[in-house]
Amino acid sequence: MEEIKINRLETTKKIGPMINQYWEKLRQAPAQGKKTAWCAGPLLWMTKAMDMPTHEMPAYAAWAGGRHGAPELLEAAENDGFLPESCSYHRVHMGLLANVRDGVPIREDMQLPIPDIMFTAPLCPEMAHLADSVYRRFGVPVVSMHCPTPYREADIERHTDWMERELREVIVPALEEVCGRPFDNERLREVLIQLKEAALLRNECWEFFKLKPSPWTLWDYIVSMGPFVILAGEPGGVEYYKELKAELEQRVEQGIPALTQEKYRVYWDALCMYGWFGVIARKLASLGINAICGRYPWELFPRPWLIDTEGDPIRAMAELIGEIRRVYAGELYPQIVAELVEEYDIDGLIMFSFRTCKNWSMGQQDVVMEIERRYGIPGILLDADGIDPRYYSDAQIDTRFLALAEMMEGRKKLRQRD
Amino acid sequence: MEESLKELFNFSGDPYTHLAEWKEGSGKKVIGLTPMYLPEELIHAGGMLPVEMWSSNEPITVGHAHVTPYYCGLTRSIVDDLLKGKLDFIDGILTYETCIQARTIMLIVEKNCNIPFMESIFLPNQMTNPLTRPYLIESLEILKARLEEFAGHEITEESLRESIVIYNRNRGLMRKIYDLRRRRPGLINVKEMVPIVHSSMLMLKEDHNAALEKLVIDLEKRPHEIDGRPKVILVGSLCTAPSTEILKLFDDSGVVVVDDDLYTGSRYFVNDAVEDGDPIEALADRFLARNPPCATKVDSEMNWSDYIINMMNESGAQGIITLIQKNCPPHMCYSPDVMRKLSEANIPELVLEVEHEVVSLEQMRTRLQAFKETLGGV
Repeated sequence: MEEIKINRLETTKKIGPMINQYWEKLRQAPAQGKKTAWCAGPLLWMTKAMDMPTHEMPAYAAWAGGRHGAPELLEAAENDGFLPESCSYHRVHMGLLANVRDGVPIREDMQLPIPDIMFTAPLCPEMAHLADSVYRRFGVPVVSMHCPTPYREADIERHTDWMERELREVIVPALEEVCGRPFDNERLREVLIQLKEAALLRNECWEFFKLKPSPWTLWDYIVSMGPFVILAGEPGGVEYYKELKAELEQRVEQGIPALTQEKYRVYWDALCMYGWFGVIARKLASLGINAICGRYPWELFPRPWLIDTEGDPIRAMAELIGEIRRVYAGELYPQIVAELVEEYDIDGLIMFSFRTCKNWSMGQQDVVMEIERRYGIPGILLDADGIDPRYYSDAQIDTRFLALAEMMEGRKKLRQRD
Repeated sequence: MEESLKELFNFSGDPYTHLAEWKEGSGKKVIGLTPMYLPEELIHAGGMLPVEMWSSNEPITVGHAHVTPYYCGLTRSIVDDLLKGKLDFIDGILTYETCIQARTIMLIVEKNCNIPFMESIFLPNQMTNPLTRPYLIESLEILKARLEEFAGHEITEESLRESIVIYNRNRGLMRKIYDLRRRRPGLINVKEMVPIVHSSMLMLKEDHNAALEKLVIDLEKRPHEIDGRPKVILVGSLCTAPSTEILKLFDDSGVVVVDDDLYTGSRYFVNDAVEDGDPIEALADRFLARNPPCATKVDSEMNWSDYIINMMNESGAQGIITLIQKNCPPHMCYSPDVMRKLSEANIPELVLEVEHEVVSLEQMRTRLQAFKETLGGV
């Protein structure tokens, strides 16, 4: 049987250097006399509006995982008393702080400076605790606002109203104080305009996921999320998506699929296994499985036309955060998965049960059961961690992927028979 | 054991039977709350019984088809109990979004159970944010409206104020018992103390108050000899009562517990709500009290270590035993900073990780004995 291979996109190769450069600029900022911020929660678009070099918690953890710098950071945290069951994203930061406070050795490219201010709008308790830990160790001022998880869609509007107030009355004054100048509403508008333009192009790229075979994989898109997060407001985001779209169009014209043979199309739930990104992609590809969509990658404003770039940018910012929180709403979770299954004609579900992240692994078993009931497609739970190697097991992953492929094959045959 | 204590002990030991009987006898609704901060007084004022949901003493079986084993034991146990039908007498479940694991309960219950009232509310918990108080008050008003709708009648200011008075009475009585334990170390062992507090989380407060009134008198009369064992305080075990087996180990290990900062301990009753003024604001202010510091609240300026050290010094204890519920993210995140601070202050601390499933008791016994010896006990 011929080996199934991945056709890598050329455009996505540009993201890695952009991200590296971003962290390097943050590392250099204090020496250049620039104020820096750390963010835990969706606030970095606000610091971007003040052109503050900014660290972002999940982005750093994912980057450390992807660059294989996490094990050393995790070890430093565990030596400082952190239990291995606690959030690995939190632990890599505790390792980083142990490096700054106690000189615990970590790789040079993983090091970051302690910020002048820490902002938090916690999506989970660990984000709040990162802020508290930075304060307790270094006395860095912490400015926090709420970022509630709605259970029902009806709750979102009320929370958005409060988030707007908190942005206006808590976050903006703190930014003005640390930067020593008025908040730049027009710069925030520019960031929002750029986000919207890039996201609209991104949604056009998502259309290519509907093609069979698809010319790109979910992994290509996850790599491309940078322009909506730490690269937001930086030059190049919109151009990146224009290039990506052009390359996808070209692939379609030339009949180049993402996998040399796409047998099955799967939904991937929750965050990614950044520490094993290529490994997972190759394992799936070897079985002809193409990951197409997922709730986490669709977290970043999947309806970009709703971003209001004409009105009050602070209100627009609050609505943007409300939109992100929508995918976390327990009531909507099964429905969001169902919509993606229908829209992208999905054959199976991989629910990545992120061992140390309770936020993203809630209710996964029930969603598998419900989707199976509604569409007759199978799902598996993948028990591992995004970046902590102690929870990674090659054999377990191989067995589960193989089982999923067999189930999807069986269900396809059943459908054909019917 | 005194009759007054036996009553509380029985309720705490078998909440299923006692609550089902209570409900049948009273004809009132029972609302299960996820710990630790939902305002019981509001439900009480609505003529319903609020109960803090508890961890069963059964192994988790069917629950694991819905929630992974690396969720906290309490969440897994509640889901397991619900799916097994052990909580069928419950009329409603109220949860809040602060705990990301408790959120799971809503999703699973809605898909698999038939509970008439299910609500998840948001309790703003950022202690240094100036908008937290008005936001919290609005959340409590919304909760009040939803409870009124379910109860079928208004919760008046007067009824809420009356509930606050009843709850404050309960808290005051428990503080009295704690004071007695501090003054006479060893008079009340920890295997008795935890069920006293735990039963308060389950029983109608008027009934619990009546039992406590008798218990205070009984305990005052209890014979007591000077106890020479090393004194310790217990800390942690957020959201869950430590299991009976572990409590027994403490009592058998040769240390004497003189105070605690446990969830099924002083954390539950240390603060009153003010009895005059707006009762919703009183409940909000009770939640927003900075002491006891809590790992589940966002408060960069709080210092849990100082609070514990102060408690240890005031009770004359020589060491601290911390219980961490496995897979409790807030406690796991905060604990290393407390450990470091205690170590810098040369305060002996023993950290025990506990779990719904029984951990190795022998290993725990050995560690407790070694800890006792470091405190100077033999």
